[in-house]
Amino acid sequence: MEVSKGNKRKKKKANQIPVGIGLLIIIIILGYLIKNLGTKHPMSWLLGILLGFTLRNSRFCFTASLRDPVLTGGTSLSKAVIITIALATIGFAAIQYGAYIEGTSIPGNISPSGVHIAIGAFMFGIGMVIAGGCASGTLMRVGEGFMMQWLSLIFFIIGSLWGAKHFGFWENTFMNRGKEVFLPDVLGWFPALILQFGLLLSLYILADRFGNKNN
Amino acid sequence: MSKELRLDCLGEACPVPLIKTQKKMKKVGVGDTLVVEVDHSCAIKNVPEWARKEGYNCEIDEIDDGQWEIYIEKTK
Repeated sequence: MEVSKGNKRKKKKANQIPVGIGLLIIIIILGYLIKNLGTKHPMSWLLGILLGFTLRNSRFCFTASLRDPVLTGGTSLSKAVIITIALATIGFAAIQYGAYIEGTSIPGNISPSGVHIAIGAFMFGIGMVIAGGCASGTLMRVGEGFMMQWLSLIFFIIGSLWGAKHFGFWENTFMNRGKEVFLPDVLGWFPALILQFGLLLSLYILADRFGNKNN
Repeated sequence: MSKELRLDCLGEACPVPLIKTQKKMKKVGVGDTLVVEVDHSCAIKNVPEWARKEGYNCEIDEIDDGQWEIYIEKTK
């Protein structure tokens, strides 16, 4: 394609590779320094950094996955999130089934469902679209240096603390009245997994058709 | 003679650059090029993705660290 790129304001960019190598060395040294705190800490440190790196380079965005189908008609990130959930389901199912076989308590956040989820999701949805990122997205862009989102992070923290302050109200009013639903207990392990993957697959097909129709 | 229009989206977070581009593109004449200035890394993914789906020619140029110009040529 032919585009005139006149009046270029291109500056000579600083070479960032030495900084990157320096940072990598610091990351490794820090990983070694925190090893006495327990094996969990260096692992979390490393996983966090790798996840952040992946998140940034793939420009993965949970907000966009839910916002773009409505606002711009794009569904590529929605499909990416559906695939992520499917992959996570495999891992979760393996861990939880392992616990089930051993007879230990099943790990995971199994909380009562109810109106509070709808209210919370609605509030969070409004907030994340205005702020331009969910929790991971905001953190990733704070690290990237996008100043506007530093502001989002400050208010994200304020909002979280505010929510924590009122947690007792939500717990007493809604959560304790709700019913804890763990699908494998209700349906059995195999049907629960079939249901989960079936739903994800139909969502994926829906997102794919919707994305193609709009463009 | 094809024109080159500019759209300033500096400091705008997702999805503002894409929506501004979509609106502006309707006013751009066939054969003209729109240059979108952005500094939000997500915009250099979703704006070209949308433009290519629409069938426009699209090119990204990093003019500075963390600042990009997206060239979109309205071909039809």
